[in-house]
Amino acid sequence: MSHGGGGHAAELYPENQIIALGTLLAILGMYISQFFPQVSMLLGGLLASAATVAGANTTRKVAAYGLGTGVPSIGMLSLGMGIIAAVAGIFLVNALVKHFHVDPIVLYFIPIVGTIIAVILGYVVGRLTVNPIGMKIPIMVESMTKLSLMGALSILGFCSAYAGGFLPEIIIPGAIKNGVMALAFIAAGMAILHPFNACLGPDESHKRTLLLAVACGFLTWFIFAVARLEVISTVVSLVLWALAYREFIKQSLKDACAVYYTPELPKRET
Amino acid sequence: MDFLSMLIPFVEITLAGAIINASVHFVPVGGAPAAMATSTGIGTGTTQLAAGAGFTGLMAAATIAAQSGVDIFNPLHWAIILLSGAVGSMIMLGLTMLMGQLIYVFGVGVVPAADKCERDPITGDYQKPYITPGTTGHGVPTVCFISGLIGAALGGIGGALAYVALIQLGFSPEVAGIIAVGFFFMNAVLASYNIGGTIEGFHDPKFKKIPNGIIASFIASLLTGVIVVLMALGI
Repeated sequence: MSHGGGGHAAELYPENQIIALGTLLAILGMYISQFFPQVSMLLGGLLASAATVAGANTTRKVAAYGLGTGVPSIGMLSLGMGIIAAVAGIFLVNALVKHFHVDPIVLYFIPIVGTIIAVILGYVVGRLTVNPIGMKIPIMVESMTKLSLMGALSILGFCSAYAGGFLPEIIIPGAIKNGVMALAFIAAGMAILHPFNACLGPDESHKRTLLLAVACGFLTWFIFAVARLEVISTVVSLVLWALAYREFIKQSLKDACAVYYTPELPKRET
Repeated sequence: MDFLSMLIPFVEITLAGAIINASVHFVPVGGAPAAMATSTGIGTGTTQLAAGAGFTGLMAAATIAAQSGVDIFNPLHWAIILLSGAVGSMIMLGLTMLMGQLIYVFGVGVVPAADKCERDPITGDYQKPYITPGTTGHGVPTVCFISGLIGAALGGIGGALAYVALIQLGFSPEVAGIIAVGFFFMNAVLASYNIGGTIEGFHDPKFKKIPNGIIASFIASLLTGVIVVLMALGI
């Protein structure tokens, strides 16, 4: 069962540009959460949703080839690799400090280390899907690398926004031990896999999918803002979501065929 | 931490990945066609089914592991944790198949019939005459049900093994649980790509592709094992 429909629609922005922007913004968001914990949810959450948008864009590109198992599978795979990479980033740097007595300043490189592990893990799993498994998608390896990266960045981003920083003594009790990371897993996963899953088909357009991706990113941010009971972020994210979703509906109506009137169903069959 | 106490969890987590991958090949996944009763199996995707059964197994294992008096390094307790994971998964998938079967038979009104075999290898019943023309079987026949139960047991053991390995490395249950979930999804999706959509069970010709999936998961789990063992130094 192919999910591609009409193949690739024209791209509004090049994929690599979106990936680079998403990576930069998400890492910037983590540092803002770390150094300005007062605005961690407001700015960190906003910037973390950039990673989910970039992930949704890559999902669109790779899933248009037809995975055979449905779009959700690749989103879940991306978050599965992402969560291992995100937790590994935190604990590996902690191991350097605790076990090898490196200067604690390296703790500030946790987002970078998480990024590197995500890229390695994504590349290896991508190669495995091509070589013994035999997926016939030409961009599989690079897409898996990007998806793993975006999964890790969105999880780390939302978790550090929730906990107010990414240092191990802040994020482990603040976002992992209380189970918020499980929320990050599934909420960010939905934001990555849903936009293309909802918009796919022969008349899929990049603008519409991206608008829905942005709306889903804001919605994920909204969920975390509510979970943290922060009023300003909740209101801002809800307003931004409403604006993005309104644009999405407008775009959908614009792309759809005009429906002038809906005839009533006959009262009974004659 | 000495070398041996790191090596055992490393071996466990590598095996766990391979077992999880193998388990998915047993589950009768019908995908979207099965949801319309035009294909044999349960009407949803591989990832969702494997995840549902795997998480139940993971939770059953975690519940037993959290009981007071359970020592994770005692081989007997270790086996009980693994078995409880297997039983948890089997109950979950067994109920899913049973309820699906009730809907297929009494709701949709189809006869459970497997498409990929002439006679059911377990009951010996003829299958072909009962298949509606234009479809590839429907419902969950006996062979698929048994295959699904085997798959669920393996999946539960795999999930529990990954969880136990992480606990043995010294992670707290929360961290171990969340890594095991990610690990489970990674291997389940690799298996579902190997299957390529739908499978009926161990009698399906696609089942012969299982070595590729196991090798892929083995390598991916090896890498994860290295990462996880190094992470354990930072607790």
